[in-house]
Amino acid sequence: MTLDHFWLLFNGLSTTLEITFFSLLFGSILAVGLTLAMVNKIPGLNLLARTIILIFTGTPLLIQIFLVYSGPSQFEVIRHSFLWDYLSQAKICAIIALAFNTAAYSSLLFKGAIESVPRGEWDACKALGMTRGQTLAIIVPHALRRVLPSYSNEVILVLKGTSLASSITIMDVMGYANQINGQTYDALMAFSAAGIIYLGMNGILVLIFKQLEKKALAFQS
Amino acid sequence: MDLLQLQLLLDATKITLGLALTSLVVGLVLAILFCVAEMQKNPLIAKPISLFVTILRGLPEILIVFFIFFGGTHILFLLTDEFYDISPFWSGVVALSLIFASYASQTLRAAIQSVPKGQQQGAQALGMGPVRCFLRITLPQAWRLALPGLGNQWMVLLKDTALVSLIGVTDLMKQADLLSGSTYKPFTFLVAAAAIYLIITLISQWLLKHLDSYINRFDAGVAK
Repeated sequence: MTLDHFWLLFNGLSTTLEITFFSLLFGSILAVGLTLAMVNKIPGLNLLARTIILIFTGTPLLIQIFLVYSGPSQFEVIRHSFLWDYLSQAKICAIIALAFNTAAYSSLLFKGAIESVPRGEWDACKALGMTRGQTLAIIVPHALRRVLPSYSNEVILVLKGTSLASSITIMDVMGYANQINGQTYDALMAFSAAGIIYLGMNGILVLIFKQLEKKALAFQS
Repeated sequence: MDLLQLQLLLDATKITLGLALTSLVVGLVLAILFCVAEMQKNPLIAKPISLFVTILRGLPEILIVFFIFFGGTHILFLLTDEFYDISPFWSGVVALSLIFASYASQTLRAAIQSVPKGQQQGAQALGMGPVRCFLRITLPQAWRLALPGLGNQWMVLLKDTALVSLIGVTDLMKQADLLSGSTYKPFTFLVAAAAIYLIITLISQWLLKHLDSYINRFDAGVAK
């Protein structure tokens, strides 16, 4: 393994970060939807949200990625529809699977955080005659502060999870590490170098979230 | 999907369960060792183990699996100058139990630290040695506090076993992938495999709930 190989791994880093970013973006939007469906106990949607969460937290991420990537090809209808333009791209498939996966886990965190807001705050909103929407506008920011520390773990899990995208031909950091291992048979160096990059990224994420937590919890004792 | 194919999936499920349970046992032993090492007063023992566990948790699981499998072959080559095929199954066990232990040791440490100090002092006063005190007094009480966390990590471990399909173990994931390839019906077989994983997870959750109420049976009515 040479220095050139090390730069190759950095090429993969942009793909890793891209998949992480979009999975988290779509995942968090979806998670908010799932949480609202559960917290407001919207009939039908509540059950749907719980089913989605059960499926995505109860099965391995790898099988979810494979399912999104190679599953749709079984159906003629999908292969001939406009959807196929998207579903035939490995990167989009990885983002879909990771987004649903992280949405399932983080909606459980969000729900827990909303439920941990003291009962008195709900009562106070009610006493002031606020609507359901207005009440949530008060409660949600309080819940968000509480969820930050556990959400930072989820972000790290997503970053680590993107490495599975290499199994569906995506050249992320892990994908290049596999390629270097295949070319040079220097498994120790190839995977150590990739490991250092992942550790570095996770370290940076931890530092960013520490700063965020400091800001978010500045007025709480 | 015919019966023969279902039989293949169920056979592969046994491999998945064998892998998960073996890793659980090895992982629990490792977790206790990590935990004891991390709580040592001597920083020369505590710090390196603490760093090792942090690194393990910061790395993608698949990277650890590949590192052990391909790196293990590489190390044996460097040491002996000959190529040995190391078993993918046991590489998987080593990798998965290390991953499990790196998380479980934290749960265990928190549980051990919340066992009141008086318990150890009592044991000391009765003349118990530190090892006996740890095994007979502290650990049995810590298990009960650690069980919910360890239960979650067991389910993470179960799902992580799918990763060994990438180093050639014919587990449930791999079998589903093989059948997908040979029948051109990836959706059917991946959903079937996912359903089996889901069933195992649900059974685990049910068992853990009962185990939890069993080990806390003397606390009923006391708490709250």
